[in-house]
Amino acid sequence: MALPDRATVLRTRARALSAIRHWFETNGYLEVLTPTIVPSPAMEANLYAFKTANGFLRTSPEFALKKALAEGLGRIYELGPCYRAKESGPWHQSEFTMLEWYRAGASIWDLMDEVESLFEQVATALQVQPIQRWNRVSVRSLFLRHLSIDLAHASTEDLSEQDPSWNDAFFRRWVDDIEPTLTKPTFVHGWPASQAALASIREDDTWPYAERFEVFVGGIELGNAFQELTHSGEQLHRCRSENLIRTGRGEPAHPIDPQFIEAVGRMPRAAGIAVGFDRLVAALCNWPGIA
Amino acid sequence: MYQTSDIRKGLKIEMDGYPYVVVEFLFVKPGKGTAFTRTKLKNMMTGAVLDRTIRTGENLEPADITEYKMQYLYADADGHIFMNLEDYDQVTITNKVLDGSEKFLVEQMEVQVLYYKSEPVIVELPNFVELQITYCEPGVRGNTAQGATKPATLSTGAVVQVPLFVEEETWVKVDTRTGEYVERVRR
Repeated sequence: MALPDRATVLRTRARALSAIRHWFETNGYLEVLTPTIVPSPAMEANLYAFKTANGFLRTSPEFALKKALAEGLGRIYELGPCYRAKESGPWHQSEFTMLEWYRAGASIWDLMDEVESLFEQVATALQVQPIQRWNRVSVRSLFLRHLSIDLAHASTEDLSEQDPSWNDAFFRRWVDDIEPTLTKPTFVHGWPASQAALASIREDDTWPYAERFEVFVGGIELGNAFQELTHSGEQLHRCRSENLIRTGRGEPAHPIDPQFIEAVGRMPRAAGIAVGFDRLVAALCNWPGIA
Repeated sequence: MYQTSDIRKGLKIEMDGYPYVVVEFLFVKPGKGTAFTRTKLKNMMTGAVLDRTIRTGENLEPADITEYKMQYLYADADGHIFMNLEDYDQVTITNKVLDGSEKFLVEQMEVQVLYYKSEPVIVELPNFVELQITYCEPGVRGNTAQGATKPATLSTGAVVQVPLFVEEETWVKVDTRTGEYVERVRR
C-alpha cells in the first residue's frame, strides 16, 4: 500500500490529534507546551541533535517534562515537534511529532494498559481496525526463543563476531533476527541494564535489567517507556558516561543541564513514555512510512 | 572508503573478495541502539543476492570497477568481439558474462562493459532494441483472446512472445532487460 496524497495524510493526522487530546483530557492529563530550543538536547550517545545559535533543537521534551513533574504536575503530556540529526529513511525523518506523557505513581505495566486504551481510541477515530491481542514479552525470552541465547550469560562474541561492543553486537542480532519477528502488536520489556537510558534498573537473579519497554505494531517501534530514574547522582553519572562515548568517537559532549539533574531527585515515582505520533498514524493506517 | 551514509542503490562495494552492487537499502535504528543500514547486495560476478546489515561506523571498500563504452563487432567460436571505443582495443566476451543478452546483440550496437579488476563481469545493452521477425506462425483469424501470444524468432536468433496479430518480417521493439516484446515499429 502506498502513502496516500498529502491532503489525506494531513486530514488523518488531524483526526488522530483530536482523538489523542480527547483521551488525555478524559483521563485527567494536562497538556503542556515546553520549549523546542533547549540547553541540553539528549542524554543517549546514539541521539544526534541540531545545534542552533543559542542551544539545540530538542530530540524529545523529556528533560522539560521531568522538570514539570518535579514541580508537582502529576499527569502531563506534550504533543509537538522534535528533531533528530543523522536519521533518514521511510520511518525516520529529521523533524517529526512526538507524543510524550508522564504519570506520577504509575508503573510501566500501567502505561501498557494506557497505550492499549489510547491506541484503541485513535483507531476508532480513524475508522481503522483496532489493535487486538497484544503480547507482552521480555527481551531475554525473545533471545532465548529465537536464538537460544541467554543474554544473562552471553559474551559479545556469542552475539556477533563483527562488532566492537556488547551493545552493538546485541543490536545487530536485534535488527537481523529479533525485530523482524515482531509482526504482532507487542510490548517488549526488560532490556539489558546497559541500555537503561533514563530508566531504573532491577536485578532478577543474575540478570540486571532496565525497567523499560518498547511498543511494536506491524514490526515498527512506535514508542519507548521508562520506569523513571529518580536519583540525581545516578542521572548525572549516566549523562557523563554517555558523553564519554561521544568524546571517544571524536564528537562534542552534550552540555549537562544542572536544573534537570536537580529536578530528577525531586521527581515522584513515575512512569513515562514517548510515542512517535506520525508512526502511530502510519502503523494504524497500514501506510509504508511517515515521509 | 565509503561510510554507511554513502549507501545508495547502485553503489559498488568490495566484500569477501567479490564486487557487490547495492540493490536495496533501509535505514534502521533501534530506539536506544546504534543505527544500522539493512542492505540487499548483488554479487556482480555470480548474480547471487544476499542480505547484509551494516553498522554505522563500519567502513565499506569501494569495488575496483571500471566502465567502458564498447561497440559490438561480431561473434566467433570463443565468444563475442567488442571494440573499446576509448582505445580501439578489441576484446572477447564470453556468453557466460553476457548472461543471455547475447541474443539481442546487433552489429555496431554500443554497450557499457563493467570490468572488475581486469575482467569483464557485466555487459549492459541499451534498454530497447529493434529487431526483425524471421519466423513465426501466421496469425489465426477470429482468435481474439485478450493477451494471447505466440513465439517469434528474431534475426539474432532470440525467441520472444508476441501478440497473435504480429506477422513474419515485422520489426519489433524488445526490452533487453526482460526479453519481452514491447511494440511493432515501422522501418
